[in-house]
Amino acid sequence: MSTGLPAAPLLAKRRLGDKIALALVLVLALAPLISGDGFSLRFGAEILLIGTAVMSLNLLIGGGGLVSLGHAAVFGAAGYSAAVAAGSLGAQLPLMLLIGIAAGMLIAGIMGLVTLRSSGLFFLVLTLVVGQMVWELAFRWREVTGGADGLRGFPKLALGSLRLDTPLALYLVAAGIALIGWMVTRSFQQAPIGQALAGVRDQPIRMGALGYQVGRIRVTAFLVAGAVAGAAGAIYPFVNQYIGPNSVHWSMSAALIIMAVIGGVGSLYGGYLGALVYLFVQTEVSSYTDRWQLVIGLIFVATVILMPNGIAHWLGQRGVRGGRV
Amino acid sequence: MSYYLVQTLNALSFSVLLMLTGLGLSLVLSLMNFVNLTHGSFFLLGGYVAIHWIGAGAPWWLAFPAAFVIAGAVGLVLDRFPFGRFYPRTHLMQVLLTYGLSVIFADLMRWGFGADTMSLPTPELLRGVVFVAGLPFPIYRLFIIVSGGALALALWYAIDRTLWGAAIRACVIDRGIVETLGLNTRRIFTVGVVIAAGLGGLGGALGSGMLSAYPGLDEEVLLLALLVVVVGGLGSFGGTVLSALLLGFVTTFSRVWLPEFANFLSLGIMAAVLVIWPSGLVVRKMRPV
Repeated sequence: MSTGLPAAPLLAKRRLGDKIALALVLVLALAPLISGDGFSLRFGAEILLIGTAVMSLNLLIGGGGLVSLGHAAVFGAAGYSAAVAAGSLGAQLPLMLLIGIAAGMLIAGIMGLVTLRSSGLFFLVLTLVVGQMVWELAFRWREVTGGADGLRGFPKLALGSLRLDTPLALYLVAAGIALIGWMVTRSFQQAPIGQALAGVRDQPIRMGALGYQVGRIRVTAFLVAGAVAGAAGAIYPFVNQYIGPNSVHWSMSAALIIMAVIGGVGSLYGGYLGALVYLFVQTEVSSYTDRWQLVIGLIFVATVILMPNGIAHWLGQRGVRGGRV
Repeated sequence: MSYYLVQTLNALSFSVLLMLTGLGLSLVLSLMNFVNLTHGSFFLLGGYVAIHWIGAGAPWWLAFPAAFVIAGAVGLVLDRFPFGRFYPRTHLMQVLLTYGLSVIFADLMRWGFGADTMSLPTPELLRGVVFVAGLPFPIYRLFIIVSGGALALALWYAIDRTLWGAAIRACVIDRGIVETLGLNTRRIFTVGVVIAAGLGGLGGALGSGMLSAYPGLDEEVLLLALLVVVVGGLGSFGGTVLSALLLGFVTTFSRVWLPEFANFLSLGIMAAVLVIWPSGLVVRKMRPV
């Protein structure tokens, strides 16, 4: 399955764009710290967490050509598990992360195993179906998940006796997760298995003939992506002290994909830029019109028509042109 | 026993709706390899058209052709822009484009038709119930089964037995060869999209008497139609019919036996089918290249 990835000559541009994107992400990540008001810190934490989920999805889409329409289920299931566990066990940060990572890996692992023999459209629909099964559970299993109302009123995040419920603390936790998640994802992509994943994306039959265990590589990629998304998802409910079924729904999965595309498929920092653009527009627009869903739809259409290669790639193109002049 | 007979009829009427919608989606998907997620919007649009048509007092039997024509016209416009330039693009881009469009349509329809659940003002002739082995069964659902079945039969005849159908089937298999024979495949594609959209609208018009019409129905139907097409296997008429029946029965009976987690169960069963047959139930044999 091709994902519209650039041919070899474009790679230099892509790399440069990646670097500019990294600088941009760092500058933008510092902005809430400098301004320091509660709203932008909370919003920044949300962007960093969702951006981390987008980055992990990018590992699957860009790295492996595995377009999953169920990634929100991985992210949201981790959030639900953490929120439910916080209710009975207390919201200790390491415990929450552990539970979130386990839940994320579980759902992502199921998706990886179920889709082992599928490709193309069948892969897309199967991940969608598994994701919607998670949504059905979140929506109908009222005693545990709160059904349509979602979960509120669980304990606030803490580390030992240190309370982590201020916007600044949440932002720092989110930034830490984003940083570690990025390191994990990057080292996976650069490790032999990450290279093998790219091989499986481009030439699955040849990779099999070379003796690579294609299925095992795919499932491993799913597990890593699930762990990263799970860690981010575990903290997500504590940003607004709320998690609802929308965070597991496939429309959220589609939103994660469009964020990846806005940022640039294959660019790990791009995910953060995509999350920033998407969430910023959504928040801004919904504050002064009821027709914000229309605008969300327009974002999708405009992105694929005008900027299918994403910000990171676009920046790279500018950079290369500028360098030659 | 008669209870299960009535449930079987229920499942059958739902299957027929799924079949009509799925056949439309399948046409576009196998013909052009184009993933059209706006198909659920055509369904809902057809439902609203039929409800307003009959509500306005126009002849009721014309409501269904009207839904076909209006949804088909929307399909024609979309084929000109922006679908046309997305036919050769990757599935990922098609999914994002059509998903975005479906979100736009959903919001526009909520704007135009309101957020309330509307049901079809059933014409006098189709109102009331018949007694099947002692239990009541709505006449309208029998109407769905009969008319939907007849329509599917007509469609099968058109695709399988006429020259037009042969051209469409040839396009599915090898577009390039069809082009060398002097046929304008771009025009065949347009016809395919229009018919598919029309079938979606028609399915919605028929379905509005059973499922009503409300914001969010488009998404539910889209998911079911996608499942029907994918589980049936791409490009196979028989497969689509088979999987529509399977999904219709699975959904209906899981609602009977496990109402709370019915969708979970039916999604799980369909996922299991896809795990066992990763390319759908009916796979066209192809020479490996």
